Amino acid sequence: MTSGSENPLAPPEGRAPAFYFDGTSSRRHLVTLAFNDRLELHEDGRTLAAWSFADIRRADSPAGTLRVTCLTAPALARLEIRDTAAAAELASRCRQLDENAPGRAGVAKIVGWSLAATLSIVAVVWIGVPLAADRLTPLLPQTFERRLGDVAEQQVKILFGGKVCESASGQAAFSKLVDAVRESAGLDTSIQSHVLATPVPNAFALPGGKVYVFSGLLTKADNADEVAGVLAHEFGHLRHRDNMRNLIYNGGTSFLIGLLFGDITGSGALIFASRSLVTASYTREAEQNADTFAIDVMHRLGRPTKPMGELIFRVTGKQGDKTLSILSSHPLTEDRLKRMSEEDRPPSGPPLLTKAEWASLKAICN
Amino acid sequence: MNQMSSVPQHPPPAPQPPALPAAVAFSGNRGEFRRLVTRGAGLELVTFGFYRFWLATDMRRHLWANTHIDGDAAEYTGRGRELLIGFLFALAILVPIYLAYFILGVEIERLKAFASVPLFLFFYLFGQFAIYRARRYRLTRTVWRGVRFWMTGSGWAYAGRAALWGLLMMFTLGLILPWREAALERYKMRHSYYGDLQGSFEGSGWEFFKRGWWLWPLAPIAFYVLPLAPFVYGAFKAVEWRWWLSGIRFGGVRLESTMRRSALIGLYWKYVGWIFLLGAVFIAYLALSAVVVASIDGMSLAQFSKPQVFLKSIPLLALAGLGYLALVLGINVVMRIYLLRDLWVRVLASTTVYNVQAAANVSALGDLANALGEGFADGLDVAGF
Repeated sequence: MTSGSENPLAPPEGRAPAFYFDGTSSRRHLVTLAFNDRLELHEDGRTLAAWSFADIRRADSPAGTLRVTCLTAPALARLEIRDTAAAAELASRCRQLDENAPGRAGVAKIVGWSLAATLSIVAVVWIGVPLAADRLTPLLPQTFERRLGDVAEQQVKILFGGKVCESASGQAAFSKLVDAVRESAGLDTSIQSHVLATPVPNAFALPGGKVYVFSGLLTKADNADEVAGVLAHEFGHLRHRDNMRNLIYNGGTSFLIGLLFGDITGSGALIFASRSLVTASYTREAEQNADTFAIDVMHRLGRPTKPMGELIFRVTGKQGDKTLSILSSHPLTEDRLKRMSEEDRPPSGPPLLTKAEWASLKAICN
Repeated sequence: MNQMSSVPQHPPPAPQPPALPAAVAFSGNRGEFRRLVTRGAGLELVTFGFYRFWLATDMRRHLWANTHIDGDAAEYTGRGRELLIGFLFALAILVPIYLAYFILGVEIERLKAFASVPLFLFFYLFGQFAIYRARRYRLTRTVWRGVRFWMTGSGWAYAGRAALWGLLMMFTLGLILPWREAALERYKMRHSYYGDLQGSFEGSGWEFFKRGWWLWPLAPIAFYVLPLAPFVYGAFKAVEWRWWLSGIRFGGVRLESTMRRSALIGLYWKYVGWIFLLGAVFIAYLALSAVVVASIDGMSLAQFSKPQVFLKSIPLLALAGLGYLALVLGINVVMRIYLLRDLWVRVLASTTVYNVQAAANVSALGDLANALGEGFADGLDVAGF
């Protein structure tokens, strides 16, 4: 390749050869080293630089080369010594040679701080984010929530076909049922409910006060109390503004967990797994609260709570065999049914719908 | 190299040979790099990924310090701490941007469902900005002969160009890629300097196209016939590297690469082979853990092998999680050894520098750039290495 050894300008005997770059130009100076009270770099009798040994620091170099710099020289000034004896000589004189070397005791420090940062992120995810979600939700204006609801509604309509069922008698029965549950739930008339024609057996509340019941759920329902319970559960979500809380919570945890694992290849699965674990426990709690709310509403109406549990059970079947409870976003159906059976009271109020009304509700999409 | 020019007080020698080629060599020990990345992967695990900043720095330090151009090794002067700070700053800026993005998205969606999808364009733009600024950081930490490289230009101007060319890419189904790369490289190199020596890029899109056009119809086939993929991708990368290196200029200094089309295919196959091997080990480990857990629970394997049973076994899931972590770290190590270090070595081995005398007496110039770009690149997951 190149080099010092074949150089016609071999240095004088007894003085170590080295290459010097002064940090202001890329010119390569062939220098000889003189170890006096300071390290002197000579080039043809001129002293190019004199570095005090205490200021000399090691810089990265390939194996077999000692590359040093000096604190008092320009930042990029470099001296390269390829002669092992001279390198050893210099190293023995510079006590602080490796003082700035990165990554020595530093690693323990990095590990320590990383653990502290991780602990703090975990604490924020477990305590801080739920707290923030609870506190921030009431501060968000209803108008903003309604806007979010409008957005979600448009997407839902696209995803599920968007056919709203409104046969006159069915709509009348549905309104009667909704009004009864709504009043008992203490919600005002800004709440809107619709039946959407889709075979998926489900119901949900959108932010800002829109409740959708899918016709698939009505098909599976046997009586008005079952549907009333589900409506009450969804009103519970609205009352607690769970949508907004979930939004803040999900945003916060996704962000923090993503931050934690960063861009290690394959970390996607880790992020997904830990997020599902954390958010599942959060939504389970919200679902439980909505169930509590629904139970209270049904008690006030003087209607039984067990039918709601039975409807859910009919839709999902027994879950305990299939899913791991800590990964599930809802409490297990059998546990919900058990709870609603325990809370069940014999009916003390009038039926919510007459037989004829129930029949027209079932036929609302025809 | 031209020994004479660096010793100017010597009487001027006989006529200099014109444009003498200078060697580019790599002196790094493979075992040392392997230890570095293995240890780094372990530390990444212990630190929940935070060690990535220091690992990236250590890998660059190793690669740079062992790269000799005309007899002198380069040096990487960046530090992990800078990357961490850049990352934290980037986060502080990204959080409000994500929030604004969200609120803007809500407003647009209200007008029309899914209308906010084009907002992703903004993040594409931001990603390109990050790529430019990250390159700037790395370049200003690159030192050769006591003089640093540096970069001017605007990250946003670059991002705008990249986005427009990206649009053309969509319309031409990628056929325009060579011209896109040529235009973007011209912008990057025009704004790159070594001391007071300005860079430029002389590769033309047409040249790239001539050498690699046949890969264009093969790409969709390789997408379905997976065993073809390492061949097609390896050939593409080799053509790209050769074209890119051969186009680089700094003042009168000229680079030339002689990389053959087949030069990188072996590396990609080795990587694929390792992935399969690690995958097989992972599956064997899962099977073994299942047997162990089943025998501890006192179940027969037939009972245990039902999904509703083993998916509920927490000890098995924990063991699987651990194994998965080991798999991910193993893949990271293999990737860094083959696709980073070995690739680096092959690229250097194919490269020659001509007229390096033009860089023999360059004045130092240029300031350090901060690591914000690297932070954005990390935060947006567009990081190179």
